Amino acid sequence: MKADAVRGHLDGLLLAVLEQGPLHGYAIIAAVQHRSGGVLELRTGTIYPALQRLERLGLLSSSWESSGERRRRCYALTEAGRHTLAGERTAWSEFTAAIGSVLNPTTPPPGLAT
Amino acid sequence: MTGPAADPLDPRDPRDPFDAYAAELAAALHGPARAKARLVEEIRGGLADTADAHAERGGPYPDAIRAAVREFGTVEELVPSCQRELTLAQARHTARAVALTAPFLIACWYLSVAPAADPAGSVPRTAQLLAAHLAGVAIGATLLSAATLAVTGTLARRLPTPPRLPLLVAWTGTTAGVAMAVTTLALAVASALATNWPLLACAGALAAASHAIVATSARACRRCARLPVSRTARTA
Repeated sequence: MKADAVRGHLDGLLLAVLEQGPLHGYAIIAAVQHRSGGVLELRTGTIYPALQRLERLGLLSSSWESSGERRRRCYALTEAGRHTLAGERTAWSEFTAAIGSVLNPTTPPPGLAT
Repeated sequence: MTGPAADPLDPRDPRDPFDAYAAELAAALHGPARAKARLVEEIRGGLADTADAHAERGGPYPDAIRAAVREFGTVEELVPSCQRELTLAQARHTARAVALTAPFLIACWYLSVAPAADPAGSVPRTAQLLAAHLAGVAIGATLLSAATLAVTGTLARRLPTPPRLPLLVAWTGTTAGVAMAVTTLALAVASALATNWPLLACAGALAAASHAIVATSARACRRCARLPVSRTARTA
């Protein structure tokens, strides 16, 4: 899946892989690629400003951690980040259900399903 | 803004390829020094981690570095999204400088022209009128700066950040800087005429220091606001 298709969902992807615990930048990239089965193509360098933006919004917190000679910035989900992730999941479920009902007319629209 | 894309394996470049990539990225980006250094260090480390991961899968290390840069993006590809965040960081830096110094300036003026501080009424009427106008500018700049800090902080989860906000903050900071320069001059003149000149001279010195901080930050903000950035925050 091309980067254009991923655009708009990046925040949700980053928040989701941090749900299990703090990770540094490369580990976040690896987790997104692993969980998507390598299907999602990310321009991985752009993850770093995105992580800083999420931190500015109060959705992530971060701190430096040293590993040998290399320092890595580790990111963790905040309480506000967990709430936002829950909202992203709900919005995604509604979106896929609505698109699915159009693409596959045999599926009842989510609003009419009883 | 940026030169040609970095070739981390340029044989003419004696530097470490990751250092060369980081140096080219740092040269292309503008913003608060600390935020920029942090972003560049993170990206350099991430690129090195990516190259290590490619090298572990086999093959020569130079090939792993090439693959890492291909996956990561060239400096030219990364700059717009990095600059967007740094421009906002600079706008917040300028807004914080204005929000912290402008109210202080109002307090200085108030203390200087208040009857208790000037029992002989020696501060000229013109200076008092000027103080009132400058206080108005300072109040406006403070309110706008506080609003900027809010809408680029946690409020940005719900509200989109206006693309021209950094430019607005830059010119607000510039206006506040000019007001502080005028205040410095006015306080210097007033201190020569007033009986309580030590207080006015102190206030003038503080106004000069505030001017230096705000004008420097506003100049950096004007520069950042002119640079091209990615249109959307959610890039991948």
